[in-house]
Amino acid sequence: MENGVIPGTCAVYQGQTHSNAGQPAVVNVSSPLKPAPLPIPPPALKLGQEGFKKVCRTEEDSPCPFPGLASGVLEMRVKEGSKIRNLMGFAMARMQGEKGVSGGGVTGGGLRQVVFTGSGRAVTKTITCAEIMKRKVGSLHQLTKLQYKVVKEVWESTEGGTSEMTVHRTVPSISILLSKDPLDPQEPGYQPPETLSALWEEKEGVESASQKTCKRPLGPLPYSSFTHCKRMCLGEGVSVLPPQ
Amino acid sequence: MRTPYNASNILLPEHAENKQPAVEMDPVEYTLRKRLPRKLPKRRNDVYVNMKTDFRAQLARCQKLLEGGGHREICVHGLGLAINRAINIALQLQASSQGALQLAANTSTVELVDDLEPEDPDEAGEPMTRTRNNSAIHIKVFYPDPQ
Repeated sequence: MENGVIPGTCAVYQGQTHSNAGQPAVVNVSSPLKPAPLPIPPPALKLGQEGFKKVCRTEEDSPCPFPGLASGVLEMRVKEGSKIRNLMGFAMARMQGEKGVSGGGVTGGGLRQVVFTGSGRAVTKTITCAEIMKRKVGSLHQLTKLQYKVVKEVWESTEGGTSEMTVHRTVPSISILLSKDPLDPQEPGYQPPETLSALWEEKEGVESASQKTCKRPLGPLPYSSFTHCKRMCLGEGVSVLPPQ
Repeated sequence: MRTPYNASNILLPEHAENKQPAVEMDPVEYTLRKRLPRKLPKRRNDVYVNMKTDFRAQLARCQKLLEGGGHREICVHGLGLAINRAINIALQLQASSQGALQLAANTSTVELVDDLEPEDPDEAGEPMTRTRNNSAIHIKVFYPDPQ
C-alpha cells in the first residue's frame, strides 16, 4: 500500500529472490488453471456458516488483455499475500538485467516489458508495484486494462461430504503493462512516461482542452464551471495549504 | 471524499515545513491525523469514490451522469482501498451498457500528509508531519466516438 516503505535497494533481497525465482513469476504460456497457493479467507457468502467448506478455487482463463504481446513477456501475478519486496526484487532484477539472470529473451539491458496482474484485494498492491517500478526504472510506457475475472469455487459439505456446490464469482482484476519500448498512444488506458505526480494537475488541462475541442453542447463553458466547482470544493474545508 | 475528516479543520499550516519523515516516535504520545489529499480536480463529470458512501449510491450517481446528465465521459477516481470500488463501479457501468462504454484507466501515486500531534500539550513533544505515498486510479468511462 505505502509506496514509500520499500527499501531503496533490492540487493538485500536478492538471495531470497534467486532461491524462489520460479515462484512469483509465471510466464504467459503456463497452465491456465492454477490452484491458488494462498489460503484465502472465506468470502462473505453464507456458505461458511451453513456447514460448507471451500475445497477448491480456480481462476478461469480470461483472455489476455494485451493482444499482440510477445509470449515470453514476464508476467507478475500479484496475490493478496505477496510481499512487495519479493515481487519488486525479482521484477527489478529482470528488468535491469543485473547479476546475470539467465532466461528466455534476456538481452544485455534486461527485459523490455513486464506485466503486473492482480485481482480482488490484490489490485491495490498491483498498482503499487507498477508505480514503484515506474519511479525506479524511469521512462516506461504504461498500458492499464481492467476486466472481470471469473473465479470458480467448489464448496463441500462438512457433514455429509457428498454434496458439492460450485460457485462462480466475478472479481475485478487489473493488468498493467510496463514497456521500455513505445506503445500505441491511441489505445485506451495508455500512459506516457513521466506522468508520475503530474497526472492530477495535468489531467485538468488535458481534459478540459479535449472538452473544448469536442465542443460539447452542455452547460456553461467548461473552464468557467471548472474553476467555480474547484473554489466551492476548497471552501468545504479541504486542505487549503499552498502547494509546496 | 465528499465528507471531510474532522481532522481537516484543524490544520496548522506553519507546521507543514517540519517534514521529518524518518523520525522514530512513541505511538502513545502522538495522535495521528490524516489530512485529506490535496488538489483534487473537480469537474461536473469527476466522481471520487470513497468507502463511506454506499456502493449502490455511488454507482447510481455515475449512471445518472452518463444517462441523465448527458455526459459523454466521466472520470472515476479511487485512492488506496477505494481503488477496488472504483474499478468495480467502472466495470459495472461497462457491463450494464452492453458494450457501449469503454474504459481507460490511468494509475498514479498520491502524496499524503499525516499530522502527528502530541497527546499532552505540556510535554515537550513537537507537532510533526509525515508524508507517505498511496496508489490511486483514474478511470475514464466514455462512449467512444463513432468513426
